[in-house]
Amino acid sequence: MRNVLNIILRNRKATIGLAIVLFYVVIAIAAPLITTHDPNKRVARPHQPPSQEHVMGSTRIGRDVYTQAVWGTRTSLIVGFSAGLIVTVIGTLIGVTAGYFGGWIDEVLNFITNIALVIPQLPLLLVLAAFIGKSDPFMIAMIIGLTSWAWGARVTRAQTLTLRRRDFIEASEQIGEPSWRIITVELLPNLLSIIGFNFIGSVIYTIITEATLEFLGLGDPLAVSWGTMLYNAQNSSAITVGAYWEVFVPCLAIAVIGVGLSLLNFGVDEISNPRLRTLGAINRAVKAQKKYDAKFRARSTEAGA
Amino acid sequence: MAFILRRIAFYLVAFLVAAIINFLLPRLMPGNPIDIMFASANVIMPPEAKKALALTFGFVDRPLWEELLIYLRSVFTFDLGVTIRYYPLTVTEVLGRGLLWTLLLVGTSAVLSFCLGSLLGILAAWRRGSAVDSTISPLALAMQSIPAVVVAITTLFIFGVALRWLPVGYAYEPSLDPEFSWEFISSVLTHALMPLFSLMLTSIGGYLITMRNNMIGQLGEDHVVMASAKGLSDRRIRYNYAARNALLPSVTAFALSLGSVMGGSLITEIVFNYPGLGNLLFQGIINRDYPLIQGQLLIMTLTMLTANLIIDFAYVFLDPRLRKA
Repeated sequence: MRNVLNIILRNRKATIGLAIVLFYVVIAIAAPLITTHDPNKRVARPHQPPSQEHVMGSTRIGRDVYTQAVWGTRTSLIVGFSAGLIVTVIGTLIGVTAGYFGGWIDEVLNFITNIALVIPQLPLLLVLAAFIGKSDPFMIAMIIGLTSWAWGARVTRAQTLTLRRRDFIEASEQIGEPSWRIITVELLPNLLSIIGFNFIGSVIYTIITEATLEFLGLGDPLAVSWGTMLYNAQNSSAITVGAYWEVFVPCLAIAVIGVGLSLLNFGVDEISNPRLRTLGAINRAVKAQKKYDAKFRARSTEAGA
Repeated sequence: MAFILRRIAFYLVAFLVAAIINFLLPRLMPGNPIDIMFASANVIMPPEAKKALALTFGFVDRPLWEELLIYLRSVFTFDLGVTIRYYPLTVTEVLGRGLLWTLLLVGTSAVLSFCLGSLLGILAAWRRGSAVDSTISPLALAMQSIPAVVVAITTLFIFGVALRWLPVGYAYEPSLDPEFSWEFISSVLTHALMPLFSLMLTSIGGYLITMRNNMIGQLGEDHVVMASAKGLSDRRIRYNYAARNALLPSVTAFALSLGSVMGGSLITEIVFNYPGLGNLLFQGIINRDYPLIQGQLLIMTLTMLTANLIIDFAYVFLDPRLRKA
């Protein structure tokens, strides 16, 4: 764990991304502490610009935008992370099973994955959500989680296939390790970077898609989330009457967490594929590595002496 | 050839799966599917129209597999039923109206962002680490992860509401009649400008990053080193040796974005009230016009699959290695 953190902190993109994500997590956890009333309570006159009392202004029906945004953070993160988890678990399960066992199991699973890949995502989600009716955020998380695993499954399968014939896997097979042990102890640790990439990517996708579905009016209008904030703002024509605060707060919230998560993801990608780094970063990494080596050498000579 | 035939068979099965999902969805929901589908409409339909619709969707009192066969037959004969919101127009007629606007908007933005994004990506990879690269690459990364809703709303606010430079809605001035005159065309252009801009803003980053990453991979390859050892001009190495080989994934992304054209650019069209296919889908959703939504899902799947098929062909054409395999 310490090591992973060290690696992340050495990459500037990943560090900034991690900081942004942590900031959101803190807000989500501290939501009851940093707000004073129920997010759906009417506490101000309609469409008040930001003021001392309501730092981000009020909505058309007099709700405090700041309180809504803070509680919305909680919803979006929970939905994002739980759907991300579902996507990652299904994708990894299918990908690893197909890649490891091969044969007809692979044929069947790969066929299903390919079909799920070519059926367009967003319209399918829209049709599902439309049939289910007013879906609360958790229903949306379920829908997204159950329909968006295909990409992760394909990538995981590809990586499993390349690992499958490596010596250490074949060796474990020959000494008679059971499959579940080979998969969990030998394969999964080597797939971690891909699984992580898949997870973060799914979280971004879910947060954006949830907001989109709710903006389109497919969500539960009483739920407190960035998407419903946008939906209400659109319905009260907040933009055309000039109530920019009602629109820009959720917009900014979504944009910044999106940027943060993808910086984290691309940082991780750069760490595992050094060629993608901009040269400045490489120089810094080389310097940091030298420093790290020097420290390590000093310590080991100390230990030796 | 066998490869292409196998792909075609696969796409047929995929289309069948989409059709079956479409068939099962209303039946899996609690309650009487016909009531759910048609009762929510606030349009009064004559009983014969209702009956025809029920037949199109296979709602006949027969065993399930027979209902499915009836539904599939209507799908494969392109009988997608009558819309509820735009009754008595059929789904295909309604979609035909939006297609032109969407093609204009989405088509233009796809072509422009593909060209511009790829060129910038080539440049960024070629001058890796320079000021240009370290400005546009992180910017592209950031732009890629900002959702279309946010970009569209912000554009609308800045250029339409605050600065009042451009008209805020629809595809042309409503007082004008569609005709081939300078006035009408310029009205169409000014109305398309903002949605076009926000669409390009959201998609250009993806092309840039894809191209940059593939190009960087290519620049380390032997054939590029050889090209510079031969003393070829930078320009030639850049475009004929590196970029040509790095282009394939971008071509795929481009074809897929054309494949999703039938969905229109959902969000952008809604925010700017642009009368394309995305807006139609939205109207279908808020009015619970299930025939329209389901018909559009099927047609979108069809175009998506066609785009995939074209990619398969294009790959064989663009990558000579595949021809031997």
